Amino acid sequence: MNAATLSFLSYTAILIAIGIWAYRIVEKVPINRYEEEFYAAGRGLGGIVVALIIAGGLASAGTFIAGPGMTYAYGYSWVLMNNFQIFMNLSLLAPIGIVVGIVARRVNAVTYLDLFRARYQSKAIIIILASMVTVFLLPYMATQFVGAARVIAQMTGLGYFTSLVFGSVVVLIYCVLGGMRGTSLATLLQGIVITVGCILLFVGTVSHAGGFRHSTEILAARDANFLSPTMGGMFRPPFAFSIACITGLFMVGMPHAMLGALTYKNTKALKKGIWMGGILVCIWTLLLCLSGVIGRSIMPDLAVPDEIAPWLAMHVMPEALGGIVLAGIVAGIQTTVAAMAIIITSSIAKNLLKELKPDVSSEKMKVASRLTMGVCLVIAMGLALLEPPLIQWIIFFSIGGLEAATFGPILLGMYWKRGNKWGALASISWGMIIYGLANTVFPEIGVWGTHPSLISVLSSIVVYVIVSLATPPPSGRIVQTFWGVSVSN
Amino acid sequence: MKFVEDPRIKEGRKSLALAWIYFFIYLTAILVLSYTLGIKPYLWGFPRWVAVGNIMVPIIFVIMLIFVVEKFIPDIPLTDDDKNPAGKE
Repeated sequence: MNAATLSFLSYTAILIAIGIWAYRIVEKVPINRYEEEFYAAGRGLGGIVVALIIAGGLASAGTFIAGPGMTYAYGYSWVLMNNFQIFMNLSLLAPIGIVVGIVARRVNAVTYLDLFRARYQSKAIIIILASMVTVFLLPYMATQFVGAARVIAQMTGLGYFTSLVFGSVVVLIYCVLGGMRGTSLATLLQGIVITVGCILLFVGTVSHAGGFRHSTEILAARDANFLSPTMGGMFRPPFAFSIACITGLFMVGMPHAMLGALTYKNTKALKKGIWMGGILVCIWTLLLCLSGVIGRSIMPDLAVPDEIAPWLAMHVMPEALGGIVLAGIVAGIQTTVAAMAIIITSSIAKNLLKELKPDVSSEKMKVASRLTMGVCLVIAMGLALLEPPLIQWIIFFSIGGLEAATFGPILLGMYWKRGNKWGALASISWGMIIYGLANTVFPEIGVWGTHPSLISVLSSIVVYVIVSLATPPPSGRIVQTFWGVSVSN
Repeated sequence: MKFVEDPRIKEGRKSLALAWIYFFIYLTAILVLSYTLGIKPYLWGFPRWVAVGNIMVPIIFVIMLIFVVEKFIPDIPLTDDDKNPAGKE
């Protein structure tokens, strides 16, 4: 067993211990408080954990594997594209964090769909959204497992299947046993490992390349387009703007990012979560993306660009440090999977089940939560066996689809009193239809070379407003619950 | 009965405006500098647009964010019966 494998195994053992410890905490909680504990960690998370849950949840294999992979393939142009995501915590927590924090406590919402239930009081919306969250997040989760399996396979020399099992079973353990409590504790450890791993990878790569200037000159000699902000016209400003919207502005609609907004303890934690998330994502994004470009000057003909980060970890630094870097990459992926597992499970086991069977007991809900989470993770592992070659485009597809469906209903739903369930239903349906068409038979819907999600999101907002205005306003009770002064005040 | 809006919602709206304004300023800065500065002369060994627009600008905005968030987002209670502004439980 090499030193890299040993350091990775140590990290995995700690995660399993966290899962077991969190399980013991969750099991001690009275059954009437079980849901709040399992899905929202008792709504008592501090700023650092909130920052890591949102940043770690949103920064997925797209950042840790495909980020350096894209900069390896398309040079510095993709550093620009990735830099738009740096303020993802700001884009999520500042716009809706305060309102969600207040309303979630008023209506005892512990899941993403609890908020929709309280705001729109529509069974149809819950069923549609629960289905869509599952449909979009399961393949997204599968891409994360693919990324993790490829890293572990490179590091240990194990086969793809064994690596897949190795990388995913540990997530299964701490998520299913510990719920949000286990996830938050694991995320804290993973945040440290990710950050240390990124710094080590960057220092090792720059040192091996002989410095920035030397690397830039090698790249310029090979292909001057690697130094261009558009990769020689391939990625024009409208496309860049649409990527900025998907990975920045529209983040409000991302279900797995909402975990932070639902679990933070107080506004001090909210603020820390915003700026600390900015610092962390900036470090991760910049160091990994720059390593990807610089890596091209070291190793110019890698067959699969996504393999550049693990390749660098195994070739430009001592073995044990390479193991920490790879553990960091896998950790970044695992945080995303964990957040998604919580969201999918809450959508199915809590919201969908309660809609279809309102009298379900807390004990049955507890069993259903763990069972659903286990089944979802196993399905995602099954999908990962298909081994898709380009995970970045699947990730963009899933993100775009979720944003097209939920951005309008969640943002306008939180601030516009006149918005109603008909507007939300129409907006979700319209967003999905346009997004579906843009990705299949009418790709020209994505105007001026923008990503299809831009027009899908913008037009679904217009539909939300028009249909809401054309139909009766929401009840006074909803308005009072969301925006009124509490009766107890 | 006349509807009275919870004053904390106004703070939520202000935070929304703050986030979007901040993000758009960042977006404008990073895009304009990236597409106008050009490649040469290199700065710190990087193409000029990368060093200024994609290393300096993100770092400056991340540091500024600490002060902006702490100054402009107030500490408010999240529960209706909470008298502690920081919302400590």
